[in-house]
Amino acid sequence: MNSKERLLSALKGATTDRSPCICPGGMMNMVVTALMDKANIHLPEAHTDPNKMAGLARAVYDYGCFENYGVPFCMTIEAEQMGAVVDLGSAIYEPHVTGYVIDNPSQWRELRPFNPYGNRAKVVLDAIKILKKHDDHVPIIGNLSGPISVAASLMEPVNYYKALRRNKEDAHALMNFVTEALIDFGKAQIEAGADVIAISDPSGTGEILGPRLFDEYVVTYVNQLIDGLHEMNPELPIIVHICGKMHKVYEELNKIRADAHSFDSIVSIKESKKMMPAKIMIGNVSTYALEFADADRIRVLTQKVMDDGSDIIAPACGLGTKTSLENIQAMLHIVKESSMRLRS
Amino acid sequence: MAKSKEELLQQLSDCVFEMEDESVAGVANEYIEAGYEALDGVLKGLVDGMSRAGQMYEEEEYFVTDLLVCSDAMYNGLEVLKPHLPQEEGAGAVNYKCVIGVVEGDTHDIGKNLVRIMLETAGFEMYDLGRDVPLISFVEKAKDVNAQLICLSTLMTTTMPGMKEVVDMLKKEGLKDKVKVMIGGGPISQAYCDQISADGYAVNAIGAVSLAKKLVGMA
Repeated sequence: MNSKERLLSALKGATTDRSPCICPGGMMNMVVTALMDKANIHLPEAHTDPNKMAGLARAVYDYGCFENYGVPFCMTIEAEQMGAVVDLGSAIYEPHVTGYVIDNPSQWRELRPFNPYGNRAKVVLDAIKILKKHDDHVPIIGNLSGPISVAASLMEPVNYYKALRRNKEDAHALMNFVTEALIDFGKAQIEAGADVIAISDPSGTGEILGPRLFDEYVVTYVNQLIDGLHEMNPELPIIVHICGKMHKVYEELNKIRADAHSFDSIVSIKESKKMMPAKIMIGNVSTYALEFADADRIRVLTQKVMDDGSDIIAPACGLGTKTSLENIQAMLHIVKESSMRLRS
Repeated sequence: MAKSKEELLQQLSDCVFEMEDESVAGVANEYIEAGYEALDGVLKGLVDGMSRAGQMYEEEEYFVTDLLVCSDAMYNGLEVLKPHLPQEEGAGAVNYKCVIGVVEGDTHDIGKNLVRIMLETAGFEMYDLGRDVPLISFVEKAKDVNAQLICLSTLMTTTMPGMKEVVDMLKKEGLKDKVKVMIGGGPISQAYCDQISADGYAVNAIGAVSLAKKLVGMA
């Protein structure tokens, strides 16, 4: 099986020769400084140049880190397109929002209408097209920031979270606006050639929202987004990553119409497999260990998530930029090695 | 008939606990008009409600969004009671001052805001530097206001080394013993705290309060 067949099959629960080892991109960053040096393409430049973005995405695969391409390398594009001020960061620090657009959800009408073909959104689409042109059997993952995370980037998050309880009417209107924008961006990514869409919604964690608000907002709008994307292609595999502990929201999580879920390393794969039997589990090798432990430890941790039943092996979160290539490569190495053991 | 002091204290506490951020001011006014002590209203009313909310948070019945709305109610009540607090209070007593912020490169500040609220509730004078804070600013602010405590937060592994830099800067300035450093956030652990010689790690905002009190020797 080639990397693309393997990942697409695994995401649909079909039989594969072995588990894929991926890192989606977006919030789930897989670009580290050591890789930038090897590829001689650096951040923050690659955030704004489609050739460099595609080049860096390809380097992730070429240097034996992960078995996918993924763009972009941040989660600020959507908010920026709606008017937020973004600092693109450096080779070490990821891009982040430095200026909000509105004060609270009641002002959602002041947000700039989303143009999926504008500025840095276009950089992502062009990068996907460049990657697609090579048609080299490597799956391309297009990334979207989740609706809660985008909304919480447009204003002071405390004001946003409070409005979810206090001003439901405007909160829902805002969420609808944001979600429709994300559908447009996601459809444009699919049109450009994305084989999979990964939605990362760290701000939608059940730890902040609790089960009731999680159900009312995360489930509703992530599903609206997924259904919107499926209008383009009902079979398109969708990954959803949400941060934090999950034990309070498994019931609600099961309502999300994604093919596969990715969790933080705090979530036990064994437990999530049990609580979400119909879902494909992605993850979840500790990014803390990836950055600060040695390769031997990474091999042990990777083997553990495989033994626990993870269907697709991946880091548990975005990689810290100082993570060594040796540690990253150790993941893929052990995944390949154990499949050989299985067959023999 | 006027309500008893206990009754109104209970109401103040309940307003905070039950997130009645709009009715709390009315109750606080009623309390003051009845001639009861403002300080009790704060400590045995509002702060009590916030502590109960914190307890529920620990038991995972309340979540971050709940605590944020509870704190709104607490602050609305404080606004009414504060002008009636006795002025000499605090003049002789020690003021515990704490500088707090999210370290440079990181903007995730929900956890930090929660810790600020809970420490404020516990009686600390808080200096919130916000998020993505240049590391030197923590040290400068602590010197500036004579703080006994610096609280550092981050959610990302990439920005964790900034915590060590702050500790090292304090060492260099000979302030390490005078200013305690406590750290917290997603990837942080006691092991990391020990490794960088910070003074304490708290797993959540409730734990942060008892740790902060311990570090500065607050009764």
